[in-house]
Amino acid sequence: MASTSRQVLGNLAGLGVLLAIWVVYAVYFSPTQGWTFFFQLTVNGIILGSIYALIALGYSLVYGILKLLNFAHGDVYMIGSFIGFGVLTLLGGPLSPAIPVALLVLCMFVAAMLGSGVLGLAIERFAYRPLRDAPRIAPLISALGVAFFLENSVLLLFGADYRNYDGYDLISYNGIHLGGEAGVFVSYLGVLVISGALLLMVALIALVRWSRFGKAMRAVSFDREAAAMMGIDPDRVIAITFLVGSALGGAAGVMFGLVYSQIYYLIGFLAGLKGFTAAVVGGIGSIPGAMLGGLLVGLVESWAKGYLNGNVADLVVFGILIGVMLLRPSGLLGTPALQKV
Amino acid sequence: MLRKIGLVAVLAALISFVVATTASGSAKAPRSAAAATASVKCGKVRTIGMAAPITGPASDIGNQQVRWAKYFVKRWNKKHSNARIKMVMGDTQLGVDTAFAVKAAKSFASNSKILGVVGPAGSQEVVASTTAYKQGGLGFVSGSASRTTLTDGHTDGNRRGYFYRTVPNDAAQGPAVANWMTKKLKWKRVYIIDDQETYSQGLADGVQKILNGRGVTTKRDSISQKDSDFSSAIAKIPSNYQGIYIPWQLAPQAQAFGQQLQAAGKGHIKLFGSDGLFAPGVWKITGSYDSAFPYNPSSKVVQTYVKAHGGNGEFFGLPSYVAAQVVVGAVTRACKAGHGKTTRAAVRKQIAKTNLKTSILGFSVGFQKSGEMKLPAAYGIYQIQKNGSFKRIG
Repeated sequence: MASTSRQVLGNLAGLGVLLAIWVVYAVYFSPTQGWTFFFQLTVNGIILGSIYALIALGYSLVYGILKLLNFAHGDVYMIGSFIGFGVLTLLGGPLSPAIPVALLVLCMFVAAMLGSGVLGLAIERFAYRPLRDAPRIAPLISALGVAFFLENSVLLLFGADYRNYDGYDLISYNGIHLGGEAGVFVSYLGVLVISGALLLMVALIALVRWSRFGKAMRAVSFDREAAAMMGIDPDRVIAITFLVGSALGGAAGVMFGLVYSQIYYLIGFLAGLKGFTAAVVGGIGSIPGAMLGGLLVGLVESWAKGYLNGNVADLVVFGILIGVMLLRPSGLLGTPALQKV
Repeated sequence: MLRKIGLVAVLAALISFVVATTASGSAKAPRSAAAATASVKCGKVRTIGMAAPITGPASDIGNQQVRWAKYFVKRWNKKHSNARIKMVMGDTQLGVDTAFAVKAAKSFASNSKILGVVGPAGSQEVVASTTAYKQGGLGFVSGSASRTTLTDGHTDGNRRGYFYRTVPNDAAQGPAVANWMTKKLKWKRVYIIDDQETYSQGLADGVQKILNGRGVTTKRDSISQKDSDFSSAIAKIPSNYQGIYIPWQLAPQAQAFGQQLQAAGKGHIKLFGSDGLFAPGVWKITGSYDSAFPYNPSSKVVQTYVKAHGGNGEFFGLPSYVAAQVVVGAVTRACKAGHGKTTRAAVRKQIAKTNLKTSILGFSVGFQKSGEMKLPAAYGIYQIQKNGSFKRIG
């Protein structure tokens, strides 16, 4: 996991300057001026960024421990959204839930996280573990294969039709008006997503920083062989890391369905790419980096859609990925790997 | 050493994959070319294809088309036991990728039994699959692709003599929508959002031009068919606008947009969709407006269908009944003229000569050389009711 260094501080300072310039331009000089519009887009971006952050954490956790890019993670997120939808449908649907709404939402999250977590365990066991000592490209291709396998499995089992969570009908169309009726609006669903994501991130930090298992994770991430010699079972640690990362992806899938309504078998592809971008921008392998990266990608996408056009939002997001790779290959909060000379 | 072996293995696998797909592609090309000119024995069962979005985000409207087309075939087969029709389905998954439409077209083209095709549904699918249909010599009649330039003979290719449609084009839909907005609803400020597809952009351009000419203030934006997060697009819409025109193809997307609009506190701004959103039960934002294809409400055929479907006419699919009628009629006449044998070229010629004196559209159906219907027709205007049904209001 990455530690703070002068370079990281420099990166953050540079980011701060860029953001300040952007804010001044957006509020005072852009065609759509004004603080209210800017803050509305910022709130929208934080909601979206929270979902990307959870996806990015899955990428970072796995990379941090295995140096593997788990390209199937986006599709684990997609399956999480389907599990959540399944629970919603089984328990009466958004318009006539059979149990109290709060309990229903909790069940959706628990089922999605458990289901995605178990799926992550299975993927690690059958698609990655046998290739742990193979050349680097082998598990990468295996990851791509798993991604296509999952997408087409869902297509075969459930078809290509969209499913609609009707999250606003389930919870509420209302929300909080910041700064009066004409001010910034945050829906209750948006509040749920932001607070849920924060809660999960805090829980993850607590797990990694303060638990015995977290210590074991950090040890395996640092040196797998040495950790094994210290009595840590690396296979078990890696498997549980996959479980945790995939569970976060599943939770993100349910949040996506609740806020943006429609899910289908291909939502994992683009979301996975953006989650990966977030992880890389923040510093792949870094948990705080994944959170920061997710937030930044969400904000940039929201601002781009608001100030420019829906056409160019993805262009801007992936352009930033290229820019970061060229200027700061280790990401904003990552530190360059040491090379023995 | 192990790394090298691994890399070689991966490279070999990739090459095998490319060769396999290329080989199968090459094998299909001569088959489709042979099928294009083959003389087919008509027999008691004649085969046509139907390309529609049976699954995918537009499956609701696609399945309306399938049900109407099958309804025609069922009625035909009851009366013509010696000249029955078999319909082979091709799933185009409109809204996912036009590659599915091309795949369906190639599959029809290489099946020598298929003499004509109903569909596809989307204008972008027509554009993408034209080459495959032309290579296969297949005439194709769409019950919904309405982009005006599809029949101009040069935009995105020339498909004259192959492509026909049993719906009025967007040159009729745009003015109908603009007239309703300005004369009935008296809107002065309209926001227009297209979904970046050819159908949507064409309609949006047309409506915007008319509205601007009538002094209506308009603003324009676009979203992608892959989008789910509309919050930023919605934030741009001024609260004092009266209507949002969304000529989209994917009803689930329109539903999600409407819900997010309402959640953003802008539910008072009315939505106005186009024929692609005629999906009762999927797009159900109460009070929204929609333009849709013309039909004859007093036709017994229509009334029987409505009764059989619990009062829901599924009118988006109705022109596909007529499209099937055109294709089947052409196949039958070609078989008769060929004394029990025919070719795809002969069927295409018969499609061009179609002359249905009456139809469930409410007017006679014949085609111009361009592939457009001879008679101009008006689009209907509907409003979504509280129970999710679409009620005709204009």
